[in-house]
Formats: sequence, C-alpha cells, structure tokens
Amino acid sequence: MTTLPQTLREWPRADIERVATVFVLGWAVAFMLWQGTGFTVTLMTVFAIWAILAVSLNLVVGFTGLLSVGHIGFFGIGAYTMAILASDASYDQLRTEAIPTPGWPFFAALPIAVALAGLVALGVGIVFNRFRDDIFVLVSFGFAIIAFSFFLNLREITRGAFGIHEIPRPAFGSWVLDGEVEFLVFALICLALVVLVCWLIVTSSFGRVLTAIREDEEAIAVFGYRVTHFKLAVWVLSAMMAGLAGALFASWTSFIDPNSFILLESMLLIAIVILGGLATIWGSLLGAMAFVLLEEGMRFLPFLPAEFVGQARQVVLGVLLVLLMLFRPQGLVGRYKL
Amino acid sequence: MRLDSWKILLPIAVALLAIPFAVACGDDDSDEPFRIGVMESATGPGETYGTVAIQAKELAVEEINAAGGINGRMIELIVEDSKCSAQDAITAYNKLTDVDGVKIILGTSCSGAMLGAAPLAEKDGVVMFSGLATNPDIAEAGDYIFRTSLNDAQLGVDTGNLLWEDGVRKLATISESTDYAEGVRRTTAGQFESLGGEIVGEERYASDATDFRTSLTKLFSENPDALHIAAQAEFAGGTIVKQARELGYEGPIYSEIVVVGATALEIAGEAATGLKAVITDIDPANEKGQEVLASFREKYDYVTLPWYLASAYDTVYITAACLEETNDDQDADGFRDCLYEITWSGGIGDNYSFDERGEVVGLANVVVEVLPVSERNEDNNGYQVLGPAPIK
Repeated sequence: MTTLPQTLREWPRADIERVATVFVLGWAVAFMLWQGTGFTVTLMTVFAIWAILAVSLNLVVGFTGLLSVGHIGFFGIGAYTMAILASDASYDQLRTEAIPTPGWPFFAALPIAVALAGLVALGVGIVFNRFRDDIFVLVSFGFAIIAFSFFLNLREITRGAFGIHEIPRPAFGSWVLDGEVEFLVFALICLALVVLVCWLIVTSSFGRVLTAIREDEEAIAVFGYRVTHFKLAVWVLSAMMAGLAGALFASWTSFIDPNSFILLESMLLIAIVILGGLATIWGSLLGAMAFVLLEEGMRFLPFLPAEFVGQARQVVLGVLLVLLMLFRPQGLVGRYKL
Repeated sequence: MRLDSWKILLPIAVALLAIPFAVACGDDDSDEPFRIGVMESATGPGETYGTVAIQAKELAVEEINAAGGINGRMIELIVEDSKCSAQDAITAYNKLTDVDGVKIILGTSCSGAMLGAAPLAEKDGVVMFSGLATNPDIAEAGDYIFRTSLNDAQLGVDTGNLLWEDGVRKLATISESTDYAEGVRRTTAGQFESLGGEIVGEERYASDATDFRTSLTKLFSENPDALHIAAQAEFAGGTIVKQARELGYEGPIYSEIVVVGATALEIAGEAATGLKAVITDIDPANEKGQEVLASFREKYDYVTLPWYLASAYDTVYITAACLEETNDDQDADGFRDCLYEITWSGGIGDNYSFDERGEVVGLANVVVEVLPVSERNEDNNGYQVLGPAPIK
C-alpha cells in the first residue's frame, strides 16, 4: 500500500501540474463566482501585486539559485518613492509630522520608483556578489532589516511610524483610475509586462546562463562567462520589478507605513515562490493565486467564535502550507527543490 | 496510480469549494438581524487591544439581543481581522462591504489599519466607528469616520502640562517606533517645550527590542529631572521601567496607558511604584463603567485595558441607539447623522458627543499614580486616580 506522499511523488509530473493548475484556477473561479465582483476585484488586485513580486523573486531564487530574503526591501523602496514623490501635499491638515512632498503625478513618480529600486540593488548587489549560498541568505536578511530601519527611522523623509497618506491613483490626464476595476486592469497590465520581460529573459541565452549559474557556478565561469555580471544584472532587474510592485501597492492602498515591509512579508513571498514552484513563471503566478485564495478564503471559515477568527485563519494557512510542502516540496508546478 | 491520486485530491477540492457554500447557506436567516461589521486586530502587533475590543463588542451584543434586540430585531456582528496593516484593512473592509453588504463598521483598533480603510469608507459612504484608534490624523479622515477614543495629541498636551506643573524642567524621552508612541512623544515634547521645558535626550526603540539599558544609560547621563516613556507594547513599557530602576535611576517616571497595563505592571513590579501616567480611565463613580467591567470579568474571567474595553462596548450601544432610530442597517447617512446628534452616557463617561470631525468631545484624560505592589488589586488596576489632567 502506497502512502499519500509516495503517491504524489510518483505521479507523473505533467499530470500533477495539470491537476494543480486546474485546481487553483477552478478554486479561484468558484470563489469569485460565489463572493461577488467587488471582493473579487480586491483579491485580484492583491494577487497582481504579489504575483509581480513572486515572478521577479523567482528570477533570482528559482532561475539563478540565489536565495534572497531581502526582496521586501526593494518593494518598500518602490512604495516609499511613490509615496514621497506623489502624495498629496495637504499635510497642513495633519496633526502629526509634516514632510515636504512635491506632489508629482503617478506616472512621473513611477519611473523614479523603479529606477531607485534598481539603483539601490546595484549598490548592494556589487557587495552581495561576493557571497553565495547560506551567507547570501544572511546578507539579504541584513538588507531587509536595514531597509525596514530606514523606513521606520528616517522620519524627515518617510514620516517614520506615522506612515504617508493621500498617495494618488494613476491618472491619464483628467482620467483618474480611482475605480477599483480600473486599477485592477492597470495592475494586470503591469503584471503582464513583468511576465513578458521575465519570459524574454529566461528563454534567452542570458536566461540559460542564469540556469547554468544555479546548477554550477564554477563550471559556467570556466567557459568564460563573467558570472558576477550576470548575477548582478538579474538582481537589479528583479529589484526594479519589485519597485514597480511597491509603487502599485502604495497607490492602491493610498497609505503606507513601515509595517507593510517587515521581514515576515519577505518570508511569505518566498513561501509563495516555493509554493508555486522554483524556476517557473507560471508557478509563481499560480503560487500567488493559491496564497491569496488560501489567506483570504480563510475569512469564510464558518462556525468559529469571532475572537478566534483571525488566529484560526493563520493556523489553518500555516498547516496547509506545511502540508503542501510535505507532499510537494518542489511546489505546485516546480521543477527544482530549494 | 492516477485514479488513486484523484481519490485523494477530489475530497480536498470539494471541501475547499464547499466553504463559500456553507457560508452562503448560513445567510438565510428569517429573523433578519441588523448586520454590523467589525474590524479589529485579531492577530499581529495590535492583538491585545483587538481581542479585548472584539470580546467587549460581543458582550454588548449578547446583552442587547438578550433584552429583545432593537425594535424586535437582533444584532449580528461580522468580525474581520484587519491586523495593523493598511492592506489587510482594505481586504477586510472590501469583504465586509462587498460580500456581507454591511454599511456600518465598528473598528479598527489600530490607527494604521483605520487610515488604510478610511478613504474607501469615505468614498463608499460607509460609516467607520472606532473605540480604540487614537492617531491624530484620523480627525481629518472624513465625514463618515467617528471614534470614541481620545486623540493622542490631547494626551501629549496633557502630559506636557503635567510635567511642567510637577516642576520638571529637563526631560528625557524614550519611545517605541510606532505611530501611537511616536505621536505621544512628539506632542508631549512639543507642549513641554512650549512651556519652557528642555528635552535633554531622546531615544527610540524597535517594537521587538528587549534590552533598553544602553539607551537608558545614555539618557541618564544627561541628568534629566524626569523620564518619559511612550510605549505601544506593555512588555517593552514594563521592561523599561524595571531596567531604569535597576540602573539606579531614582527620579520620577511619566508615561501613558500602556505602561500602567496589567502586563506592564507585572513585569515592572515594585519598580513602577510612584510612576505617573496620563490616561483615559473609567471614573470609579461611574456606575455604568463599573458594571461593564464586572460583566466583562464575569464572562471572560479577566479585565485589561478597562477604558478601551468600555469604549469598544459603548460603540455597540451607541450603534444600537442609532439603529433604533434609523431601523435600517443599510442607511449609513442616517446613522452618520445620528452620531453627529447623539449625546451619550455609557461605560467611558457621561454626556459625551461627537464634533464635526467625528471626534469625541466631553471626555478627558486623568492623572494616575501606580501603587506599591502590596496595594495593587483587580479593583484598582494597580493605580490610584489623582485627578483630571492639568490644563494650561
């Protein structure tokens, strides 16, 4: 008699991937049909933002083999850049600390947010390139902590714990995307662009070198490839995409504070990437969708006392993630284990 | 093999897909209760406040329903966890408004969550009514945003006045890096300096810090007349008091509600004796307030953050009073107008109302002093009320 883990491990990969895909997508459609349009739009927006983050992190973790827990730092840089440059300068009304805000339009601040995340990634990447494996994880951990500390303590720029309000939605002239559906469409377009860029990267010769770096860094260096340059390039590209996600996040919530960029969020992000599967773009999309459905679906757990609803959600989510990792350590549609 | 696997996955899939059905089936209630949303920090950094708030609201609803409800209809609370984050507040808000169709939301306990969801509520015409959020910026959040909790800015002004009146001229401050604690520190320091006082040292700590000796040593090297602590978490607040005394500091310590919480006083022990704090507190002469605390203790076997507990409790009774008038849980505008007009006497005080910004008026902070350990008990919460906060 075969056990459940054995059954799942021995199952042909193509079949289990197909089932996982149908299952997650079917679950998503069913959930949306039952819960109505409004909440679905919210969930899809959360999905789009997390999916951009997951796809971009997969470039580094899955395709290149660099386990980074610092991605949330770039997400935060994008968000804070958008908030500082674009937030409404109506701080006279506020009772707490004021900061100068130029009040740029969304689309003027967006390239700056993306570029700044890339620039910071370039700076830290030059240093991080010296490290590999466990040490790389530790230094990326350090980066996440430093980034959070900046968001929290650089009060003259970030307003620290008070957070930044009144971050505008994207606008084309007088057409402001302040409707939730309009913003969702915009976020999905951004996601599609990110997926396209990632697909072009991983299917190019550049992407094949990244895969080779993951498999054996020394071997690919022997063939004359400047491994550090490739790693730095993908690190910067990935950070820029995270910056884009951050800018979208800031605009969507209209309020950010440092609590949105804590290390735990990085851990959840890595869980999404592993849940979906390493080195697969489709896996990251699926992982983000499954994660959002798991987390938000738990809001509908019936028959629980009200004061335990929140805790129960987190326990059930944690157990489900453990079970999934137990049965599918390579993720839903992954090709490699971490 | 393939068939076996389907046998395994199919029941899981069916079970997950059935969750929304189960909820949908449960919606068919012929009693048609008033459906009120609740957003609180059930998990995360604000869990202590959020859980107490949820329990207090449930207690109030139980009492109202047991007495026959409102105009013969029961109240049903739909509770969502908004944590302390804007994103979670937005998803919780959208779930409540889009899926459950509520137009009145009681919450949130965390100001960050409130500020995240408030713009949506304002746009949608949904009332958000908090018993705990204290960030000064919420005052400007909109026409549909109300709270029974006092603005941090007032707390800071009152503390600054108290320090000056007690003869403090050189002050050292240590504060947690959160919006609440930072807001209290800032307004306290601002008022103190405006009266002529001098801030001789400022230290801040992250929410997960456990050792404050280095910061305290640095502050005490400036020979301040007093130390002011602004904390968000009771554990840190109590630990700072304890470590300050362990370092040999004998001067007065001033703080706010968190540092005189049950957990903080337990950690600080005798070191907290004599500590003065400016807090919102239930007047011992307020019978309703004492009743609320007694009922809460009877149901849950503990009491903490008594004022906030009673504040959350009051929001439900105020809601009930307005629903009795509008008789429609979908009439957010009517509910809002009722809040603007109402004058209430409840657990947190008598004859309070709401101004044009949805801010509570008619309530005031008081000054309390922590008692020696031997005199602390459940009835006095470990401190004695010295009187109302001084006005300058």
